[in-house]
Amino acid sequence: MVENHRWLDVLAHLTLILGVVIVAFPVYIAVVASTHEPADFVSGLIPLLPGDNAVATYASVLEGGVSSQMSVPILTMLKNSLIMAVLIAVGKIVISVLSAYAIVYFRFPFRQLAFWMIFVTLMLPVEVRIVPTFQVVADLGMLNSYAGLTIPLIASATATFLFRQVFLTIPDELMEAARIDGAGPMKFFRDILLPLSRTNIAALFVILFIYGWNQYLWPILITTDAGFYTIVAGIKRMADVVDSEPLWNYIMATAVLAMLPPVIVVIAMQRLFVKGLVETEK
Amino acid sequence: MAAITIENVGKTYAGGVPAVQGIDLNIRDGEFVVLVGPSGCGKSTLLRMIAGLEEITEGTVRIGDRVVNRLEPAERDIAMVFQNYALYPHMTVRQNLSYGLKNRGTPRDEIVRRVDEAARILEIGAYLDRKPRALSGGQRQRVAMGRAIVREPSAFLFDEPLSNLDAKLRVTMRGEIRTLQRRLGTTSVYVTHDQLEAMTMADRLVVLRQGRIEQVGTPLDVYRNPVSTFVAQFIGSPSMNLMSGTVRAGEVRVADAVYPAPGVPDGAVTVGLRPEDFALVPGGARAGMPARLVNIEELGSQRLGYFRVGGETVVASFPAGQVLSTEMTLYPDLSRLHLFGADERRIDPAPLRAGAV
Amino acid sequence: MQTKRTIFGNRWLPYLLLAPQLAVTVIFFLWPAGQAVWQSFLREDAFGLKTSFVGLSNYTRLFDNAEYINALKVTLVFSVSTAALALISSLLLALALDRTIRSSRVYTTLLVWPYAVAPAIAGVLWWFIFNPTIGIMPYLLERVGYDWNHALQKGDAMALVIIAAAWKQISYNFLFFVAGLQSIPASMREAAAIDGAGPVKRFWTITLPLLSPTTFFLLVVNVVYTMFDTFAVIDATTGGGPAQATMILVYKVYDDGFIGLNLGSSAAQSVILMGIVIALTIIQFRYVERRVTY
Repeated sequence: MVENHRWLDVLAHLTLILGVVIVAFPVYIAVVASTHEPADFVSGLIPLLPGDNAVATYASVLEGGVSSQMSVPILTMLKNSLIMAVLIAVGKIVISVLSAYAIVYFRFPFRQLAFWMIFVTLMLPVEVRIVPTFQVVADLGMLNSYAGLTIPLIASATATFLFRQVFLTIPDELMEAARIDGAGPMKFFRDILLPLSRTNIAALFVILFIYGWNQYLWPILITTDAGFYTIVAGIKRMADVVDSEPLWNYIMATAVLAMLPPVIVVIAMQRLFVKGLVETEK
Repeated sequence: MAAITIENVGKTYAGGVPAVQGIDLNIRDGEFVVLVGPSGCGKSTLLRMIAGLEEITEGTVRIGDRVVNRLEPAERDIAMVFQNYALYPHMTVRQNLSYGLKNRGTPRDEIVRRVDEAARILEIGAYLDRKPRALSGGQRQRVAMGRAIVREPSAFLFDEPLSNLDAKLRVTMRGEIRTLQRRLGTTSVYVTHDQLEAMTMADRLVVLRQGRIEQVGTPLDVYRNPVSTFVAQFIGSPSMNLMSGTVRAGEVRVADAVYPAPGVPDGAVTVGLRPEDFALVPGGARAGMPARLVNIEELGSQRLGYFRVGGETVVASFPAGQVLSTEMTLYPDLSRLHLFGADERRIDPAPLRAGAV
Repeated sequence: MQTKRTIFGNRWLPYLLLAPQLAVTVIFFLWPAGQAVWQSFLREDAFGLKTSFVGLSNYTRLFDNAEYINALKVTLVFSVSTAALALISSLLLALALDRTIRSSRVYTTLLVWPYAVAPAIAGVLWWFIFNPTIGIMPYLLERVGYDWNHALQKGDAMALVIIAAAWKQISYNFLFFVAGLQSIPASMREAAAIDGAGPVKRFWTITLPLLSPTTFFLLVVNVVYTMFDTFAVIDATTGGGPAQATMILVYKVYDDGFIGLNLGSSAAQSVILMGIVIALTIIQFRYVERRVTY
């Protein structure tokens, strides 16, 4: 700090506290809402203090089948989200680490072409090619399946570039020493390269887990069978009720459950998360 | 243990740039050969071709009686020590040492025996369970040596292994490496750009220049009879003084002095004299070179005088106590006078070589 | 392109290693993108029986279409406002954090977690807060005489999606601004202080210029975010309404393709969006060379 301005320090803390409050406010409201009974919402204003119905709300939400709005138990949706997030994260890491390895440690015809094909995926987010991609998945009979939910999303230019960057910083001599030590390409990959990349893999996993968990448009398109709903995509279907007032406490409880796993991951692995975030943008 | 035979070996990179050309070299079983030269001379490329890390585009390399051109590095029965050691950072010292043996399917108890033996020889037993990160530069260097030793290979290949150490440790380690090599009797090829390291360690020196062998010989042979001005200047510190002279009728004139050069054809020559080959009193040479002192460097054990002689700067070394004055005469040791022709190649006048003068 | 000094000589292994990535890329990225381009030149008749090649007609029609022009304008307003709101508020927070060294870790933890909240969930949360019947914000606004109803009033709807989208993006920007600020050497600000520049002046003359690579990078990232990733925010709050007031381009592609089933037009819109992403990606790679490093 350059000089001591007390008022500036106070202002700084006030700004930060205000920021924290604004950032936390919607979540606080959601948590509070999830602890009330449906009747508490009739008064015309969201309750601002916690109620005492939390256990009942979460219990019935998790088990599901409470009303017509809750055709699928949230537990199933959580399971689907978890499967989708883990499959996407692991899938992206596996195929990216393999392709980065090929691009960095081998020279072969069409290497440049392969690199550019991977690069191009950066420019084609699913949102801009929704309809034709949906058609491909439908033609392949992958609607309403975990394969359909995950495989079309697991190509990853960012992850490939990250691993390429990591591999380029590993000294050439390590590979040479390993070759002299009698390690072939796959042995070197398994014994040396993967262990040396493990913090990058972990950091990337955090980022990609969140990415996978938070997918919305794709699961909405690919799943019509409620058994495959993910929680993030499912919550919208719960809120969209035309015939009656939404069951606010259940919706908010679901929202809380939907954000809990990725938020816990971010807070618990803040260091890895920041590393992953900053490095994937390099 | 094995001899390494290199026949007409060359390496041309994809762009058509030749890195190494026409190398012929026989490395005897148990010999310690140092490849030395300035950066870009092809010494590392040659070493890496022996190791199998660079493709050989011409000629053959034989280790023992096998042609190894097409063999993978691991199949060549060699071990290599790298400049940055290339220890596997995520493995302990023990794992580093055993990795190559494990890959070869060496039995467990044999691995343990060899690792313990190497640890004992190199005195690294105390940190076998540490990761390389936790070791000092010198310790890492020993582990790198250990990784080579445990393999019990036919040959050791060293790629500037001491460059990353500080000056003092470098001196210690070069002694240790040499002692160890003698004890194991393993054929060794050692690459360095440091001529002092090359001189002190080599059984035979190979001086490389622009991808070709310039001279091969024992350190003293190369020092005393450099085949070219390049070798003359590269080996020895301070470098050999090179002055321009002219030969006429069997005599060479340099810096107003005339010396016999029987049988040398007339024309311009380069006259080489090492700093230690000057005296302040007339010895064999009657003629002296008038010299003006411009600077003195004290080295403790000796002092270096920098002189203007003719139009050129000449360095001469003297014992520590030697008094030097501004204007003096330098008398060269004629038996140590080197002559190089216009092509920078050595010319040997027969009588001088015989030491007749 | 960079490789290692020595490389493995295996002939077929690199292809095998690349196969999964390239298979996914070709089947789910390149082929559909090609399909989108192809379909953008086609039109189905009213009964879906006959498809004919219509050249650029789908594109020219788009730009004669008031709804599409509206979507362009909506996207522009939404993108600029969201990016501005998210960037300015996160910069303020980062500057504040830069002054509070001791407690910065705690604040960081408390500020970064919204990154993990799905855009859809962010939408649902703010949709609840602004719910005209029971929401807290309309209640408070009513006190000061404003009748909030984003289901009916276009401006309210736009404000809602901007707030929800910006809220979600603050933590990301915040992290990069903090990193950017930390990379400015303290000596530079000290030198300015010795030269007599006060805190405010220092911000404008030293901090902000030195932060400009970070800011530019974040600007590009934020525009990409608002144009594409906010689909879920819109879908969870306004659904593009009322009266197309929050119908951004991405939402319109979806709406025309899946709800309206106008494939030709949807494809043409997709192609235009691809053009925008390609342009943004090129900008990002060509002009954002100097990245923030931790």
